Amino acid sequence: MWTNIKWAFRIIAAVFVLAFLHYTLPQHDIVRLTGTYNRLTTVGPENSWAYASPDSGTQESTTTRDIRFIETAFADGDVMVYRNEDTGWIWPPYFKYDSSNLQAEAGNLKSDAANPKWVVVTHYGWRLPILSVYPNAVSVREATGPDEQIIPYVSIVVIAFLIFIVVMIRRMWAQFWERSVEPMAAEVGETWDGVEARATGVFGRIKAWFKPGPAKR
Amino acid sequence: MIGLLKALPLALAVLTVVYLLVSIYSRSIRREKLEKAWDTDPAREGAAKDERDAYIEAGMEAYRHGLRRKLIWLVYVIPLAVALVTVYFIN
Repeated sequence: MWTNIKWAFRIIAAVFVLAFLHYTLPQHDIVRLTGTYNRLTTVGPENSWAYASPDSGTQESTTTRDIRFIETAFADGDVMVYRNEDTGWIWPPYFKYDSSNLQAEAGNLKSDAANPKWVVVTHYGWRLPILSVYPNAVSVREATGPDEQIIPYVSIVVIAFLIFIVVMIRRMWAQFWERSVEPMAAEVGETWDGVEARATGVFGRIKAWFKPGPAKR
Repeated sequence: MIGLLKALPLALAVLTVVYLLVSIYSRSIRREKLEKAWDTDPAREGAAKDERDAYIEAGMEAYRHGLRRKLIWLVYVIPLAVALVTVYFIN
């Protein structure tokens, strides 16, 4: 029973961590840009977590503001819409403040189905139509073709670094435990042995605990 | 831009906590290494306790002036460099 609870907790924690990483780390799509526009958008309590905070960039209203969007189509005909917003300086740490330039670059790379120009859109985030949530485009560049292979160096480095951090935290904690907590616990244990030797009964032991005893050093 | 004024103090505060934790850890590792080096050396079997303390104190003094302790400053340097590189490549 206890093991099951422990494992359920671990699995939920792992799912949260993986979802968080999947949302935050950059991903690449190879698409054809079909449209760029901005639209007055109302951000509600259900999806404000997926939009830039109001004080990043030049936006001022929390609820209704102009947001830039980029419409795209994949090689197989599926479509994807990205938003194009400044990220601000804290989270997610893309430090993007050139949304206007990105919108201009995207407009410049537009093409139609007869004459496709394939573009790599680097983005983070998810498209959740039911919540009106859009991934945020971070950069665009021309692709060598619709089948270009992209190695996600940034994600590899970030995940390796996070694993390093976790290992270091564990080692630091183990060191702290071994060097600081265990010697202290051993001392308390010795004191306790001295108390036990003198006291009888539960209350006697508790009373004796507060008296200065010979075992204390 | 004003966001930078909020982010920078926050980053420095977090990195200072990391710096302190890492330097405590590094010092502890060095002290443990010195203790083990003394305790496992057969030539020092039965040596007096203050000799051991003096040996460890000398080792810690060497650590305080060594390169390894200065390398902990990378805790500040690397994240801020990564942030600058990110700013350069994203914008």
